Amino acid sequence: MTVRLDQGVVERAAAGCALRLPRGPHRGKLGEVRASSVGSSLELHDFRQYAPGDDLRQIDWNAVARTGELYLRVRQDEVSPRVEVLVDGSASIAISDEKAARVREVAAWVCALARRGGLDPVVIATGSTVRKAGGPATRAMLEALEFDGREPFDAALRRAPPLRPCGLRVVISDFLFESPPEPFAERLARGASGLALVQVLDPEDLDPSGGAGARLTDSESGEVLERILTPGVVDQYLARLKAHVSLWQGAARRVRASWSQASAEFTLDALARRELNELVEVA
Amino acid sequence: MTLGFPLGLLALAAVPALVAAYFLRRRQPPRTVSALFLWRTPDQRAEAGPRLNRFSRESSLALEILAVLFAALFLSDVRCGQAVNQQHVVIILDGSLSMNARVGGSTATERAKTEIARIARQENAGVLTLIETGVKPTLIAGPQQERDRALSALERWTPAQPAHDITPALTLARELSGAGEHHIFFLTDGPVGDAVAIPSQVEGRSVGKQANNLAFLSAQRRDEDGKAQVTVRVGNFSDTPQNVEVRFSAADDAPQKQQVKLQPSGTAVLRVGFKTSQPITVTLPDDALAEDGHLTLLPSPLADVTVSLLEGLDAAGQQALRRFLSVAPGVKLSVPSLLTFGPPGSTAGVTLGAKPPLKSFVGPFFAQKGNTLLDDVQLGGVVWTAGENPPGRVLMSAGDVVLISEDDDGVVHLNLDIGRSNVQRTVAWPVLLSNLVRQSRLSTPGFPRKHLMLGEDTPLVASPGSTWELIAPDGQSRHVMGSGVLTLPPLNASGQWKLEKDGEPFDALVVLPLDPRESDLRTRGAWEVIPARPQAFASFATAHPRPWWPILVVLALVLLDFWLTAAPRRKEATT
Repeated sequence: MTVRLDQGVVERAAAGCALRLPRGPHRGKLGEVRASSVGSSLELHDFRQYAPGDDLRQIDWNAVARTGELYLRVRQDEVSPRVEVLVDGSASIAISDEKAARVREVAAWVCALARRGGLDPVVIATGSTVRKAGGPATRAMLEALEFDGREPFDAALRRAPPLRPCGLRVVISDFLFESPPEPFAERLARGASGLALVQVLDPEDLDPSGGAGARLTDSESGEVLERILTPGVVDQYLARLKAHVSLWQGAARRVRASWSQASAEFTLDALARRELNELVEVA
Repeated sequence: MTLGFPLGLLALAAVPALVAAYFLRRRQPPRTVSALFLWRTPDQRAEAGPRLNRFSRESSLALEILAVLFAALFLSDVRCGQAVNQQHVVIILDGSLSMNARVGGSTATERAKTEIARIARQENAGVLTLIETGVKPTLIAGPQQERDRALSALERWTPAQPAHDITPALTLARELSGAGEHHIFFLTDGPVGDAVAIPSQVEGRSVGKQANNLAFLSAQRRDEDGKAQVTVRVGNFSDTPQNVEVRFSAADDAPQKQQVKLQPSGTAVLRVGFKTSQPITVTLPDDALAEDGHLTLLPSPLADVTVSLLEGLDAAGQQALRRFLSVAPGVKLSVPSLLTFGPPGSTAGVTLGAKPPLKSFVGPFFAQKGNTLLDDVQLGGVVWTAGENPPGRVLMSAGDVVLISEDDDGVVHLNLDIGRSNVQRTVAWPVLLSNLVRQSRLSTPGFPRKHLMLGEDTPLVASPGSTWELIAPDGQSRHVMGSGVLTLPPLNASGQWKLEKDGEPFDALVVLPLDPRESDLRTRGAWEVIPARPQAFASFATAHPRPWWPILVVLALVLLDFWLTAAPRRKEATT
């Protein structure tokens, strides 16, 4: 069953907030954010000595008067940085309605924040097919998104178009696949000024109920494992989950990415105020 | 397939338990998880035990059920085509022809079969050994044949033996009953004479009944010039005089009958002539033993023997031979021939002549006894002139001179100079030549005799290079092994036996069910002997080791099951 995306919830969570962009220079279309390239914005970036061929309009005559040498005002361009939202469309997201809904909401929320900052978000979602949408189409795509991928997120992403340089790349997934975190994190960080990894987990992922035997079926591969979910077995699972998350956190730190973990148990509004507040700044 | 210990099948009760456990496991609630790899542990045995995984696969369940099945087969001591360790009962059956006597609505054979079934039931026999007495005791079933099969074989059994000694059968029974003095049953149709020593462990009883009987005691048929002359002797084995009508019939001549009055224990000879070359049937009125009152006599004309004389024979020799051949019955001169006469050194079957130095003898002559060539050859008054000793085995000699010898390949050498001897003028000469002709006639392929009595050895001549088969009266065939002049063991059924050469009918003979001792049913009746030292009823069948193949199958299934269930765990551990 597909849970419809409640846009009202998203808008309420994004109200009064903007996407926190990394401090470094960006590249992108003309906009309001300082670019990495030299340009013609009003904001002064640096001074340097005149060299033949420089634009004489940029000579700082005050400095010439003070020093007697020709100095040039160096200004940076102002751009509208590209925001890329990568959504994991694998079947593990759909093990509960809450988890799928939260992934959709977080993705829509990031897009809404970006649009509030005048940015143009692009959403790339994996799954059985890779879909890409930008601008207003992102909403429709997120609403129609099916979490039906039968392969790990990193493998599914190889089928996507090459990731383009961007200002901020937000990756929304449960990161519950066996691929080594560091190479994948490096791949995600490549070409992005900033990278944010958002892990959305189901309450059953975070704290599985035990006490009885169960036929555990992997949501993606369909593999079956029969276990009696004794407290010891559950504790071992939690320990392995913790170790797995730690590996991802370390990989995120190594590529200077932010790491957020959101439980689908909570509403988007609550998550935006607590677990995901690293992504926002008050407008 | 038999089971030595059927209670072992109780092990099959494990199957429902196994299936129930399987379905109980199957009813565990399914749960879809995001990451199964987080639930795996390198050693699941410590967490949930290996049986969990084992029950999760249908193929594993099937293998385990099969393992239980084969384990049950092992426990129940399954035997395929093999006797189990059961009671072994040895029973001796009188194979005499008189067992076929029908008195009171049933034959002694039928009563014996019923009695054997009762004994097998009573003794709880698992395997039986059934021995038929006879000139040479034979096994009807066994040794140690499964009871049902043995009784089935018994149903096909028909006694047709002449009077005989039962001692060899008793000895055989003791050997087959195993070590120790085990109980042996003996069924006959009349009292056993005091001359026979019945072993102490034998329980004997008679199923026969006393009866009057008329029987043929002998029968002959002589065929000459398209005419057959039948001579039979009829006997009255009763205590009252009997008027008997004997019927003779042939397919292509009018039937004949003769009335004869027989005194008690008296006999009479009847002779009739037919113009036929077909089998002649001679019958007596039906009585207790029908077999000895019904005869079929096959045509048995004297086969012609072709004789030729090779060049090189001296004139006197030729003249003496021709003189014999001109009067001998069933002999004609032609080429090619069965019997050839020639001079010494020739390729003839019989060489006649003497090489110098010659020497005459008037006796004494030393002849090899029992040699059929010298049957009735009287040499009194004979002057025999012989020369150099011929090769071969000596048949007759005088002094150190060999008069008659025979090669290994059957060539007979007559070391005789006819011109200087008087042999050809004595009675010894035609007798000797008649013996040669008879020997030659007997070497013709087929049955030399067309009528045999019960228990007689069977002469047969089979030429090499062909397949010879004997077809019994009931249609069963048996191969004739060997070639040349053969003597087969007595044929075990009365009636017409056929000889086939390379699948084609070749010759036939009739075994006549004639034996006065068997026909005299007045001596039959109740008889019983109790074992002097009663012991265990029967020996145990030779202990066959419990078959281990089911256990091997169980091991193979368990290993396969282990491999099926362990492979995923190995994969997990590797991961």
